[in-house]
Amino acid sequence: MPTTISAGDTAWLLMSAALVMLMTPALGFFYGGLVRRKNVLATIMHSFFILCLISVQWVLWGYTLAFGPDKGGIIGGLDWLALRGVGQEPGPYAATVPHQAFMVFQMMFAVITPALITGAFAERKRFKAFVIFTLLWATFVYDPIAHWVWGGGWLGQLGALDFAGGTVVHITSGVSALVAALVLGRRVGYGREALEPHDATMTVLGASLLWFGWFGFNAGSAITAGGLAANAFVVTNTAAAMAALTWMTVSWLHKGAPSVLGAAAGAVAGLVAITPASGYVDVSASILIGLGAGIFCYTAIQLTKRLRVDDALDVFGVHGVGGAWGALATGIFATVAINSGAKDGLLAGNPGQLGIQAIAVGASIVYSAVMTFVILKLIDVFVGLRVPESEEVLGLDASQHREAAYQI
Amino acid sequence: MEILAFASFAVLVVAWLVAPSRGDVIVVTRKSEDRKAA
Repeated sequence: MPTTISAGDTAWLLMSAALVMLMTPALGFFYGGLVRRKNVLATIMHSFFILCLISVQWVLWGYTLAFGPDKGGIIGGLDWLALRGVGQEPGPYAATVPHQAFMVFQMMFAVITPALITGAFAERKRFKAFVIFTLLWATFVYDPIAHWVWGGGWLGQLGALDFAGGTVVHITSGVSALVAALVLGRRVGYGREALEPHDATMTVLGASLLWFGWFGFNAGSAITAGGLAANAFVVTNTAAAMAALTWMTVSWLHKGAPSVLGAAAGAVAGLVAITPASGYVDVSASILIGLGAGIFCYTAIQLTKRLRVDDALDVFGVHGVGGAWGALATGIFATVAINSGAKDGLLAGNPGQLGIQAIAVGASIVYSAVMTFVILKLIDVFVGLRVPESEEVLGLDASQHREAAYQI
Repeated sequence: MEILAFASFAVLVVAWLVAPSRGDVIVVTRKSEDRKAA
């Protein structure tokens, strides 16, 4: 293995970091279009603020907790606090790129993960509670699980495969979103009045930019600029397209019209599902993963609505269910023909990999759910989670930020 | 320098904790300004 810095690998990784950075404001637009116009600024602010907050948290202590020298398989040591020792030479995770390039690429994952959760508590969470929640959640949920899977922790040692974050990013955020929706309760007017998206065009634009950025998310996770990155790029695009087609078709048959927002949500569900598998599966598998994402995620959302869980922007259905499906599908479809450094899955004669993937899924679900519940309850006691009803009716743009999105 | 970096971030976190968390709000929009002018 080469130990000198590769210009090609470094350029690709820095470019990928920039692509993933774009995903967080894109998520702001995706979510911003789905809320009512009185809450659009507050919703976009969630993503934009997290980009700022976690960028600082990650360099001060997040990176070392997630990727620092392993402490018992649970957490990283504090050796790299404030990036001490993380410089221009390659680190232990990537031999051909500067350690700082690897660090900043991972930073963008740490940024977008808590931003995904914000869709569940949209239109009703107090801004101060959101700030504290994000800081605590990143430190006590994201950083440890990133260590378990990618930082030399126990799930990585067990052999769990997660190329770009099915467990670390999507299951953690999706499950935490469900817990947040249950703890905060339903929005005022839920079930009695239409809580309709105020700008579907903004949502489709956001989904398109997410899709664009996802090439950095998945193909960038190859770390090297080579065949593995190309495969990840192709399967990512294919799964997104297949899931969008599937979701739109299912919703057309179910509700009688081919939904534009459904196609956008379907694309995101496909991107989520292919994320853990993108470095291990071939293009045929990506079509099946996209098909599954369209069906499973759409069904999960219908179920949460039937149960009257106000996961406002369907984070659990898309990210929790899509992430779990993708992680399990990795255990089914993975093959060393795509990635010689990985392991075969069920269909290539290694059924044990599916069991390992199930353990990774279960551990991520349980830990995220418990920790998120504890964090939310603590914040509720000391700060209060929800805005008062009068402020919720007024809208968060006015009540929390004293601004209005549109002067029309 | 590292201590200063941590300290500056800590100051912001403390500020967020003590900052007002709700507004008794009147949103000034162009429409309301126009009405006032009229």
